[in-house]
Amino acid sequence: MAIFLYIKKFFISVYSIFLGFRVTLKNMFKKSVTLDYPLVKQPMKERFRGMVDLIPPDCVICYQCIRVCPTAALELAHVTKEDKKKEITKFVFNAEFCCFCGLCEEICPTDAIYLNKMYEVVYFDHQDMLSIDLMKADKYKFLNEKNPSCKI
Amino acid sequence: MIRMFLSGFACLGFIALSAMFLIWWERKISAIIQNRMGPMLTGFHGTLQPIADTIKLLLKEDIAPAGIDFLSWWLAPFFVTVPVVTAFVVIPFSSSWVPYDLNVGVLYICSITSICVLGIFMAGWGSNNKYSLLGGMRSAAQIISYEVPLLLSVLLVVMESGTLSMQGIVHAQEHGWFVFKPHLAIAFVIYLISSTAEVNRVPFDIPEAESELVAGYHTEYTGMKFAMFFVAEYTNMFIVSATAATLFLGGWQGPFLPGVAWFLMKSYFLVFFMMWMRWTLPRVRMDQMMSFAWKLLTPIALLNLLISGWFMLKV
Repeated sequence: MAIFLYIKKFFISVYSIFLGFRVTLKNMFKKSVTLDYPLVKQPMKERFRGMVDLIPPDCVICYQCIRVCPTAALELAHVTKEDKKKEITKFVFNAEFCCFCGLCEEICPTDAIYLNKMYEVVYFDHQDMLSIDLMKADKYKFLNEKNPSCKI
Repeated sequence: MIRMFLSGFACLGFIALSAMFLIWWERKISAIIQNRMGPMLTGFHGTLQPIADTIKLLLKEDIAPAGIDFLSWWLAPFFVTVPVVTAFVVIPFSSSWVPYDLNVGVLYICSITSICVLGIFMAGWGSNNKYSLLGGMRSAAQIISYEVPLLLSVLLVVMESGTLSMQGIVHAQEHGWFVFKPHLAIAFVIYLISSTAEVNRVPFDIPEAESELVAGYHTEYTGMKFAMFFVAEYTNMFIVSATAATLFLGGWQGPFLPGVAWFLMKSYFLVFFMMWMRWTLPRVRMDQMMSFAWKLLTPIALLNLLISGWFMLKV
């Protein structure tokens, strides 16, 4: 009987080898799960909380975000003009203090302040990340037409 | 004379290009099997990656470890590379593209590629490293064991074609490749398995098992000496595939396309199959591998030889 067991074992092992080849052959035609990273960026999820961003014309200068911020990462100052219109003079975001809780986004009545999808937060100089001027259009240099997946 | 020089240079150029292509291809195949991208940044889809690797290896320091057996350590890479290069003498790329068609071509290629084991053992012995020595000894045991079924399966081809010349064997397959005959199909499978063991590739890569021996016999080598082992490994892979294509798959014969294209297509398909095997099967244990060679492969090859020889005599 031992010889029959031996033959059975032989055929089972040959079959399992072909099974393995089938699995790898199937994998060859599957799409790659990794991305060509520096050229192609991972699209972020809807709920991802990246860097704090601002749409300056939408801001009504209500100071709610400044009040709600638990780490005092935002700094806002304004002047009132003669026609009683307010104008922002300074809106600075300190990325080192920020805990990315998203409370400013929640509380903002006009949705002017929000957390974008940027995740490559690297600065060459430490000072640059302490005072990011939210009024500037090019404050996050990675957010451009070449990296559409980083856009909101 | 000029023809000899030219074919020699052509072969050397082909070896360098083929090894580079195979290194890139191996990385790409491993990547697509594992659903990765592989090298992408150097050149189009990482095609210049092997060139970058070569430059890196050329610029590396050539370190000689303490307590080595200097002569055998220094000579070992040449003992591995030179037989591999000289094996190209008899490989028929096309009906006219063969450096020199020896009348004992099959014997020549089988014997010259067996010299590699000497270089591997010298590297293991000379390195003054227990892992290298173990790798070299395993390699010697493995290659000598798998030479037996390999030669027995090649013998069947020689019996069928009645010649030892590589071109003669290709011409004998004019009316149908040998692999389509049942007894030679078995021989082909045996050849494929034992040639995988001959070139120390997965599932028979125990001489350089990464998880047990650091890298086996070439642990202590750096720079260009390591590159020579590397090139020899990939060229050896091409040689066994080219020999299999010549002996079993009709060599350069095929419709429409020129002979060289058919030959390279067949050889590189077999190389692809070996790579596919590498990324599919796990490594076998040392005792499993030896018992597989002596208890299964050799008896089957012997029986195959006996039965088909009897049929050949009868018909």
